Amino acid sequence: MPRKQKRSHRGIERKKAIWGWIFVSPSLLFFSIFSFYPIANAFYTSLFKKDLLSLRPPKFVGLKQYTYLLSSPTFWNSMKATFVFTMGTFVPLVVFSMVFAAFIMSRKRFQKFFQMAYYSPAVLSSVVAAAIWLLILDPRGLANQFLNFIMNTPGIDHKWLATVGMVRFSTILVYFWKYVGYFTIIFIAGMASIPRNFHEAARIDGASSWQIFWHITFPLIKPTTLLVSIVAMIQCLKTFSTQYLFVQSGAPRSPIDVITLNIYFTAIRDHRIGRASAMSIILFGIMLFFTWLQLRVSRSEEVSYM
Amino acid sequence: MEFSSHKKRKTKPQSLIVDIFIWIFLIGFATIILAPLVFMFTASLMPSSDVMRLPYPWIPKTFYWQNFWQAIRGNDGSFIYIRNIMNSIIVATTVTVSTVLLAAFTGYGLAKFPFKGRKIIFLLIMTTMMIPFEAIMIPLYLIVTSFNWQDSYAGLIVPFLTNAFGVFLMRQYLITFPDEIIDAARIDGASEFSIFWRIIMPNSLPAVATLAILTFRSQWDNLLWPLLIVQSEEMKTIPLYIIKFSSEKYTNEGAMMAVAVIASLPMFIMFFTLSKHFLSGSTLFSSRKG
Repeated sequence: MPRKQKRSHRGIERKKAIWGWIFVSPSLLFFSIFSFYPIANAFYTSLFKKDLLSLRPPKFVGLKQYTYLLSSPTFWNSMKATFVFTMGTFVPLVVFSMVFAAFIMSRKRFQKFFQMAYYSPAVLSSVVAAAIWLLILDPRGLANQFLNFIMNTPGIDHKWLATVGMVRFSTILVYFWKYVGYFTIIFIAGMASIPRNFHEAARIDGASSWQIFWHITFPLIKPTTLLVSIVAMIQCLKTFSTQYLFVQSGAPRSPIDVITLNIYFTAIRDHRIGRASAMSIILFGIMLFFTWLQLRVSRSEEVSYM
Repeated sequence: MEFSSHKKRKTKPQSLIVDIFIWIFLIGFATIILAPLVFMFTASLMPSSDVMRLPYPWIPKTFYWQNFWQAIRGNDGSFIYIRNIMNSIIVATTVTVSTVLLAAFTGYGLAKFPFKGRKIIFLLIMTTMMIPFEAIMIPLYLIVTSFNWQDSYAGLIVPFLTNAFGVFLMRQYLITFPDEIIDAARIDGASEFSIFWRIIMPNSLPAVATLAILTFRSQWDNLLWPLLIVQSEEMKTIPLYIIKFSSEKYTNEGAMMAVAVIASLPMFIMFFTLSKHFLSGSTLFSSRKG
């Protein structure tokens, strides 16, 4: 290569590198200020006893906030509420969305209609969803009417928003209702990517629909199942709106005092910034684990159809 | 021919029952899932006495439009809901436009310009996807208050100007964009910005549309952040208005549902006109390209 041409080639490379930096830098600056700095700051603040309105300088307390939290019944109650909510929501979400998807896929007609019908609650904002259910779960509301009709127990109030078990169940119900269609669509996408001739071959061999689902579809959508499980779990760990609206409307807080709600109240109502930060870091740790899991799963997601 | 008719006869009796069961199951659950939505729409047109009647009258006798009047008027007659709706529109639109532009900008840079450290930067941006908003909301709140941005559009908008998922999405989309077209434009003397604006953006429409919907929806839905930084009634967004309206004493149920209907209308209109993008947006993270 002649020297001149080589130099101009290198010039283009340099130019490209400069333009690359120009295109990348606005976002990079943004993420530094609004993502990296805050997470570092959250960790730093969690080592201090810091009051939102106090003028006194924050006092360094080391890991005391963490040891305090680990011995605090309110914190453990939050962990429990979050755990109950997450497990209670994500298991039915995964199971039902898979069944819905398999059934919808087995139909030749109205596929689009069912997809849209099941998905439609996901379009609502979560506060609207909670507001609708607040009225449905009212003592005079539809939920009591429906349950009493099914169980033939006229006039009974099932206290959807009052007792520990029921208020937990109610938040799970709202969340399940809102998100089941969303995950159904994801399963449908997963199932649609299975080559058609697999099913046809099995059918010619005389397999029943159930056998086809159990021996062909189910193993092949395993990656989707795993991914949906983790995504649903991360989603559940972040729940806030439903619990907040229910508490604002008079439901007892402690059974549904999920960790996000606790962080909010600790920081804004009790002004304990350090302690709220420590809780944030713990939540971050838990979610980081699941996100890491998700990345590992999605990397090994490639299904071989050989 | 013979073979297929033989097969049909053999499988028909048992699968007919299964078939009917599946239809009933699907229609039954569709009914249960749609019922609360139908409840929202019908209750918004009923006086409160009907909303809580036993059994619930699913069809309004007459359309009781006063609910919508009261929803907008508010319990105190301040008409603040109109302002709150405007706030939501302003915030959601600004965030959507800037997210799409910045994400495309950065995604393009990462996809098409080789430079030292590109991989590390991509990795760094990906790690921010792992930082949940809930974990950084307290420091974010402190940053925003140190700028004196509480109770302002800046406070509502600036922390969401772009997001890592959008960058990721745009990069994945643009990485397959043919280099020849970009080079041809360069030879024709187009500047880098005009290549981005005239060639890259118009050709990324599917990804842009999906990202725009996802961003708009998440802002329309955002409760936690406005709850932290907004104090005045004037700066509240729709979710905050709903919270306030539903926890006030003299709220009537019909008007409450009218508030909800108004809040949902833009999303429903979008859903029915752009359902393809809505559904594809949901399946994004399960897409197989790595």
